[in-house]
Amino acid sequence: MRAFFEQVAGESDFELHVYDSADDSLTFLDTQRPDLLFLNVMMPNKDGYTFLKELRRKDLHSDTPTVMISSKDYAQDRVAAKELGVLEFVAKPISKKAIRSLIEKYVGNDPSAS
Amino acid sequence: MSDSYLRFWGVRGSYAAPHETHLGVGGNTSCVEIRSGDHLLVCDGGTGIISLGEELMAQSDIAELMVVFTHYHWDHICGLPFFQPAFSPAWKIKFFGPGDTAADIEKRLSDQMKAPYFPVETETWMADIEYIEPEAHGLSHGPINITEFNVHHPGVTYGYSMDVAGKRVVYVSDNEVQFLKTSIDKRIHEFDEDEHELLERMVSEQRSAELAAIENVDILVHDAQYTPHDYSKKRGWGHSCYVDTVNLAIDAGVGCLYLYHHDPTYNDDQVAAIHRDCLQIIRERNADMECHVGREGLKVEL
Repeated sequence: MRAFFEQVAGESDFELHVYDSADDSLTFLDTQRPDLLFLNVMMPNKDGYTFLKELRRKDLHSDTPTVMISSKDYAQDRVAAKELGVLEFVAKPISKKAIRSLIEKYVGNDPSAS
Repeated sequence: MSDSYLRFWGVRGSYAAPHETHLGVGGNTSCVEIRSGDHLLVCDGGTGIISLGEELMAQSDIAELMVVFTHYHWDHICGLPFFQPAFSPAWKIKFFGPGDTAADIEKRLSDQMKAPYFPVETETWMADIEYIEPEAHGLSHGPINITEFNVHHPGVTYGYSMDVAGKRVVYVSDNEVQFLKTSIDKRIHEFDEDEHELLERMVSEQRSAELAAIENVDILVHDAQYTPHDYSKKRGWGHSCYVDTVNLAIDAGVGCLYLYHHDPTYNDDQVAAIHRDCLQIIRERNADMECHVGREGLKVEL
């Protein structure tokens, strides 16, 4: 999934930070609030739901706009994500066009217009 | 006989299947005992845990155990209300499973025993019960080190990797292998040509993650619920086709695979046919992995 985001970022002018695990992302998220957070569900060591609950307890991320992306295209996962207040639950695979649309929809600018 | 072993008490998925035609494999739902000397670890509390409880009440060597739950779907917890050691003050029992806190775990296990679903609640348990607070550094029960990891099944579901008697045993009762790959196959028309390579990388990353948890383990107990025909109808139910399971285990360099979480509609002959096909796949791939049917009552020395 990382490669899709990196290609979209390369064709656009938004700033992308990609991390391979929840713990790795804390180097950034401890001090920064992204305009949009794309969060996987199945990650090494910690699942996306647990991680988002932890983030939500921090003032900085109490309402960070979040889109969950997962191969787990199950109704129970969609409900779990919704209960955590995510903007959308998107099932993998997701195209570059769909990524651009989500950014445009929730960040408010056309990421391909550089 | 070694004092370390694995024993299957329940091997069915979804619901119990106590039919005469199924009893060679067994009709009880998920429950596996891992024993290392006097230390007893139980994976899941399906109906198989009821018989385990009866056996434990008939002995006096041990009075303490830990139960780890992969998740809280009924076939994995429905034996717990009938687990006799929980009702005995002589026993100390620890419970662990998915949840943010020990209170979460307690709630998820105890809710099934509340009215109107059950006549007595967990408050009637007289054993010394402890719900284990999730910690980042993993679990242990005596000499058994336990690590949980996320698997592909609706909601948060764990697999467990356990180091026992110098061997690594991995228990993955419910896991839909290769789900992303089949999702891509179904939706490939949505992607541009230049995205196909990216999709292949995505599948490769997912495969690496699937393999990482079971790489070179000595014993793997894994979901192999469906035939290819039935999987085509039940894709998205969170379970694997046995063909995907056996290929995953071969790719991961597993020493010995136990097919598990058998579909309750399959009789002994159908499970035997699945086993034969798995052995054929292993031969065709020139692999040297052992493969057996997880069978109720089967005891595997560690």
